[in-house]
Amino acid sequence: MRNWTKFLAGLAAGGFVLSATAALADEIRVGITMRMVSENGQKYGQMVMDEIGLINEAGGINGHQIKATLMNDECKSDKGVANANKLIFQEKVHLLIGSTCSSVSLPIVDVTAKAQVPQIIPHSTNAQITQKGSAWVFRVPVSGRFYAGVNAKYVGENIGKKIAYICAADAASQNDCDAMQAQMKSQHGTDPAYVAQVQEKEVDFRTHMQKIKSAGVDGIMVAALAETMSRALIQSYEAGIGSDVRRIGSSSASNAPVPKISGDAVKGVFYAAAYSNADTRPIAKLFNQMVKDRYGIHAPDHDFSQAYDLIRIVEIALNNSDLKLTNSSLAADRTAIRDAIANVKNYQGLASGPISFCADATPQCRDGNKTPVLIAYKKGGEEFETEVLARVSMPEDFGL
Amino acid sequence: MDFDFGSLLAFIIFGVTIGVVYGIVALGISLIYSGLDIVHFAHGEIYMFGAFLGLVLSQQIGIPYPGAMIGAMVLAALLGMFIERVFYRRLTRSGGGYTVAGMGMIICGFGMSVALMNVAFLIWGADAEPFPVEFGIEPLEINDISIPPSYLLTAVVSLCLMGILNYFLRYTKIGLAVRAVAHNKDIAFLMGINVPLFISLIFGLACALAAAAGVLVGPMQSVQVEMGYLMLMKAFAAAVVGGFGSLPGALIGGILVGIFENLGAAYISASHKDIYAFLLLILVLMYRPAGLFGVVAKVKA
Amino acid sequence: MISFITNFTSAIESLAKVHRLLPWLIAYVLLLFLPNLITATFGEYYVDLANRCCLFILLAVGLNIVKGFCGQVTVGHIGLYAIGAVTSALLAQNYGLPFWLSAPLAILVTCFAGLVVGLPSVRLEGAYLALATLGLGESVRIMIAVTPALGSSTGIMMIPAPTIGDYVIESFDHYFYLVMTAAIIGIYFSFVILNSSTGRAFKAIREDVIAASVSGINVPFYKLLAFVISAIYAGLAGALFAHMPPGYLHHNNFTVIEMVTLLLMVVLGGIGNIWGGVVGAIVVTVIYDQTKDYYFYQPLIFGITMVFLVVFMPRGIGGVIEQAIVKRKFIEKHEEQNLGTS
Repeated sequence: MRNWTKFLAGLAAGGFVLSATAALADEIRVGITMRMVSENGQKYGQMVMDEIGLINEAGGINGHQIKATLMNDECKSDKGVANANKLIFQEKVHLLIGSTCSSVSLPIVDVTAKAQVPQIIPHSTNAQITQKGSAWVFRVPVSGRFYAGVNAKYVGENIGKKIAYICAADAASQNDCDAMQAQMKSQHGTDPAYVAQVQEKEVDFRTHMQKIKSAGVDGIMVAALAETMSRALIQSYEAGIGSDVRRIGSSSASNAPVPKISGDAVKGVFYAAAYSNADTRPIAKLFNQMVKDRYGIHAPDHDFSQAYDLIRIVEIALNNSDLKLTNSSLAADRTAIRDAIANVKNYQGLASGPISFCADATPQCRDGNKTPVLIAYKKGGEEFETEVLARVSMPEDFGL
Repeated sequence: MDFDFGSLLAFIIFGVTIGVVYGIVALGISLIYSGLDIVHFAHGEIYMFGAFLGLVLSQQIGIPYPGAMIGAMVLAALLGMFIERVFYRRLTRSGGGYTVAGMGMIICGFGMSVALMNVAFLIWGADAEPFPVEFGIEPLEINDISIPPSYLLTAVVSLCLMGILNYFLRYTKIGLAVRAVAHNKDIAFLMGINVPLFISLIFGLACALAAAAGVLVGPMQSVQVEMGYLMLMKAFAAAVVGGFGSLPGALIGGILVGIFENLGAAYISASHKDIYAFLLLILVLMYRPAGLFGVVAKVKA
Repeated sequence: MISFITNFTSAIESLAKVHRLLPWLIAYVLLLFLPNLITATFGEYYVDLANRCCLFILLAVGLNIVKGFCGQVTVGHIGLYAIGAVTSALLAQNYGLPFWLSAPLAILVTCFAGLVVGLPSVRLEGAYLALATLGLGESVRIMIAVTPALGSSTGIMMIPAPTIGDYVIESFDHYFYLVMTAAIIGIYFSFVILNSSTGRAFKAIREDVIAASVSGINVPFYKLLAFVISAIYAGLAGALFAHMPPGYLHHNNFTVIEMVTLLLMVVLGGIGNIWGGVVGAIVVTVIYDQTKDYYFYQPLIFGITMVFLVVFMPRGIGGVIEQAIVKRKFIEKHEEQNLGTS
């Protein structure tokens, strides 16, 4: 009997500690949920935390410190929603950053819209995220709809119109693939020469490569996550498809594992992304060096640049918002931060074009970055090299 | 579009080249089943460990590819024997197969699979690692189909491994003892065979085969922590199709699964590719549980 | 601790003598205040956690029926859960059915699926059955992952929350009443089944199939029945999961990892022990949630726990407590006898 009462007492004490730590006034609480499984994911999660730490060291935002809570969602929607609920209702965050996976960001948009918490997305390209009409969501990366437009234009003008598609079944790749086919149809009036829907983690593409080889195409679009794409690229050469057939990547081609795993097979692959490490602007050179020194990464991909841009935008918005930061002003502070982010106009950072938001709950307003860069790989391996083919700023309602 | 027999041939060749790999993993599963009366659900992770060990040995330590393969096989065998001795032995002692301990064994296997996968994750991270190997052979060209050297090598090495194993089991004294243990442990024990030792040996042998498969597949598909699970399912399908406990059955089962899934991917739908293996597995289990070449399954009495 | 449990159970038994539903009603009424208690002590988020606990209780209790009572090793339970969730979501979204209609229909569909998953059990046993059900469960996930109509890569979005009249059940504590009711009813019926002739038939099959069939038990029928009953639980849990705000389903919530977690719950609580399954579901869900910051080591520890449980504590928490109670009763009885004789 006594043990039981002890247990209850412990439970109550634990509850007290928990509720005591939950809401501390006078600091800006930021919650982050990301996929922290891959090496890159961990490192740019770390970069977000480091950048917030630097802001705090420099005196914080108008004298307030930022308290950041980083959580892992493993790219699973139920875990992501649980994280969002915990951050919003337990940590009582003023701002939610996340997620990196489209399939996790999609449900979190509904959570933040209902709880009225501003959400800013570091790296999910699925076009539907901003099309849900939530007034609380902002997207820093380039939406998938813009990538497809640039890719299709370049392909149609420089490569040819007979394109084969290999599309993996994850949310981002599927979206990239469908948008690309739609753009090829609307811009050049061509239907795909061959379409293969494959599984998310497919390992063997030889049957498709054999079919593509006998179909004789001008280009192959491989829309898949990094590892799957690399395997497809390697196997396309093994199947004897020559380098005169250009390989087009989806936006995840910018991730470092692609050149690392594919080696020479990545040469000549081009893709649209938000940032290229071959960027010659001084800010980009500084950034490349910073990431290399701090995290030992040969060249940052657009996941890093977007996370960095996101923190800068958050910093600007927080500086511009008038926050009370008391327990009773939580809702007002959240609204203030949302309005401040919506007021960010023409932010010039690592992204190739300006990032602007506006107040309407439409994709035109909330897809901040409208400038994809067309990038090609010059060399594969760990020490890969890229070159910029083109930079195109798209009209805001493109692809809707 | 008229029917293209050249492509059909190509798809079958692709199926066979990956099928032999399923075959060797299935062989290990089959061996464990006949030796220990259990189905080992963590075998996919042994395969993954083998691939990573081979990668470390050949890329970081610099041992040539064949040496790395043998090294990975030995290390994986030791790992398997350790696991079997420390954990599984306690369960199998109280009986395997269909008993309540058999259910414990299945759950234990799943737990071990999760644990091993995350040990590998902590050591090597979640990212895929390239496993480039220079074979120094030109790709083989048949008509319009080019078969890369890695696939040729895989097929040849797999068949060699099968042959060696077959010779070992049939014509050596130790092999005879292994077969005796697999057939009936009690009688084998009475005949003076050190049964616990041979059970460990069987387990180690099976793990070595899985590691060999891992090192063979590494150059084709790169090496990743998550690679084990899918291979396990395919190998299960292969073992079931061929019949648990039958060595040639495992090889033929593997090849059948390989061809079946490649033809399905080519002619029906590529996005359902993994389902074809499951479908084959379930169909064979339903209509011929002993498999195409297996002996009739033991019935508890 | 043990004395508390024995006192507690005897108190409940005396309540049950008044009416067999009385303890359940009291528990239900007490649980209605749980959200308020949780919100006051821990915070609103923990009600959400309690909701997820209830879903897993349903799943674990359902799995226990086929696995613990009937002794059939199924690893495809998560596939049934997925079928229930997706069916209910699609019915609600495409045909505008309210939750109260879509959920029963989803349960019906899941029952048929349970029958299909159970079919191999008629001919197969042990490891073979595990393989077949694993294949079926994973096939369900792949089908969802690649079929656009079933959600495929972007998942099913904006599944409407259940409504009563004009009121939408979407806050954590109101949803708790829904899932908690389902869980309590689930646990209650699980006891009813266990203590009925059906439950005895299940146990006979678990202990010895041949002996059971000789005793006149229709073995295939009861095996399939066990699968269908567990499918009802899985379908209900799935439907409740689908409609839980924000109403989003994605195939990566139904992978083998989730199945292993479910197995862990059942094993931790004790296979065949109903309260054990409940405790296992709560413990695993809560610990998993509270140790999220250690995501690096979490799955490793889960795997190792599972191995060690099976090896060193095969009867789980429930089994250990049960054993302690039996031991205590034995000692008490013995002491009484000693007193009587001396």
